[in-house]
Amino acid sequence: MAKAMKLRQQFPLVITLLLLTLFVFIPMISAFEYSIRTPLEGGYGWTHYLWAIREEEFFHYIFRSGWLAGVTVLITLIILVPTMTWLHVSKSPVRPVIDGISLLPLVIPVVAFAVGAQISFPEFVQNTVFELPFLYFVLSLPYAYRSLDIGLNSIPLKTITEAARSSGANWIKTISTVIIPVIRSSVMATIALTFALSIGEYTLTVLLHWDTFPTWVTYVAQDNILGAIAISMMSLIIPFLILTTITLFIPERSIQGRK
Amino acid sequence: MTSKNLSLNGIFKQFGNVRALDNFNLEVGVGELVALLGPSGCGKTTALRVVAGLEHQDSGKVLVGNQDISNIPAHKRNMGMVFQAYSLFPNLTVEENVAFGLQMRKISKPLRLKKAHQLLDLVGLDSQSKRFTHQLSGGQQQRVALARALAFEPEILLLDEPLSALDAQVRVNLREEIRRLQLSLGTTTLFVTHDQEEAMAISDRVGVMNQGVLEQIDTPDILYNKPASSFVAGFVGTMNKIPAFINDGFVEIFGEKVVALKQGNETGKVLALIRPEAIKVSTTGSKFNAKVLTRSFMGASSNVICQTSDGTIVQSLMTSAATGDLHPGSEVQLQILSKEVLVTNV
Repeated sequence: MAKAMKLRQQFPLVITLLLLTLFVFIPMISAFEYSIRTPLEGGYGWTHYLWAIREEEFFHYIFRSGWLAGVTVLITLIILVPTMTWLHVSKSPVRPVIDGISLLPLVIPVVAFAVGAQISFPEFVQNTVFELPFLYFVLSLPYAYRSLDIGLNSIPLKTITEAARSSGANWIKTISTVIIPVIRSSVMATIALTFALSIGEYTLTVLLHWDTFPTWVTYVAQDNILGAIAISMMSLIIPFLILTTITLFIPERSIQGRK
Repeated sequence: MTSKNLSLNGIFKQFGNVRALDNFNLEVGVGELVALLGPSGCGKTTALRVVAGLEHQDSGKVLVGNQDISNIPAHKRNMGMVFQAYSLFPNLTVEENVAFGLQMRKISKPLRLKKAHQLLDLVGLDSQSKRFTHQLSGGQQQRVALARALAFEPEILLLDEPLSALDAQVRVNLREEIRRLQLSLGTTTLFVTHDQEEAMAISDRVGVMNQGVLEQIDTPDILYNKPASSFVAGFVGTMNKIPAFINDGFVEIFGEKVVALKQGNETGKVLALIRPEAIKVSTTGSKFNAKVLTRSFMGASSNVICQTSDGTIVQSLMTSAATGDLHPGSEVQLQILSKEVLVTNV
């Protein structure tokens, strides 16, 4: 009886999850199915995948986008973690203002960003691809900020920080050995979000005339749509495998259940 | 590292318009446990945080072993601190928490774990060393916090209301344990609390604070028996405030003349400050001057609350044996047992 009740209560949830799964996976499965078609011979095969990995540019661009995203993640963590820790610990009155500012990248059109960057960045920055990570950082700010904010709000940050300092840890040590490990899941979410947004960023990159993996895929798609889909599928699968491997190899330390 | 003496000289600290510390002076001797006691907002926690380096005073000096540490950052001060609650690092095990201070001092892992186990043994938690802190009870967590604060052999131990989040029984046990450890290690300790019983129970000296000023600092006995001000008298223990008339250095209370402890030679209306145990309630007297309102039985002693004929409420503490025949409504005679009383202006 109770079991039946429970099932009935969970019914809407199950339906929603099912719909969501279909919504996400049907297009992906369709794309995958499409990408392994071999129109000339008929049937299915790995032709386009083999073609893609034989392309030198495939690895060139995926590597480039990978390290750009990596640099963006580093910039995000180095700037945001200490700043937000300070905002939370000091209970600064500017915090609501900064909360608001962190949302601006969602409402400012990317074109405006690109133009702004062209105007304001010094020439030597504009001439290197390093301008991208800084702009990617701004674009992923709303997500990274929110995710860290949740983590920092969920712990007794002030007491823990003071306990670390009175135990002899300076600020760098406090952040690296106490705060980041304690909000680990929120830091991981920030890394994942920033990485994903940066590796897939297209509009800004194109506007600033840089070539990265997404712009190359678009270029390929102009005369080899099946190849482009194969490349996109791989760009989904490869990071997925990397992230899964990382998660499996980092030992999970239980930090929940705090009273 | 051995313990050192601590002194605060002329500390001022202001938050906005609120003066948290107003020319605050304090001396804590080597190996002494001094408690700062006071109502919330009196500045006691600020004083402790200034010592820890977590707040910086506007002016004045903090000296440890006669060395001025006013401009040394918190992490270099070598002070162990125990907070109210939730100060343990949730990502570390119990032993890693205790060893944290030693890790920051770059002590090798085997050495610091050995020291951590020694401390955990002292607080009776060595068997829990591999657990995570959320698996411990509140009392156990505070024991770990105490072990962590002591592991790196601090010059000064700072306790910021470490017992206030705990259950009554755990609180009493843990405060005894803090005192036992503090005495055996000889650590100079500053203890902040709003609980006077706690402060009186384990401290060598207690400082009573009010509005950023140290009103009186003395041994618990002196503080209780010879409070320097009416604020201290009212804050430490229970005190009856009985309207009386002062004349020629004497006050008349319940029809008896008693020496008034007061400077000057004035005449007029005052309040006499009398401890409940200095008032005797009896049914056998010749002139009844009060009525019993309630009697609360507390085991060996009982609390009797009476109302005098002029309406003053008086509280008396007597052995339960002597209060057996007191019932609400009984006509009684109140007598003062002490020969001298503190008085204060109305």
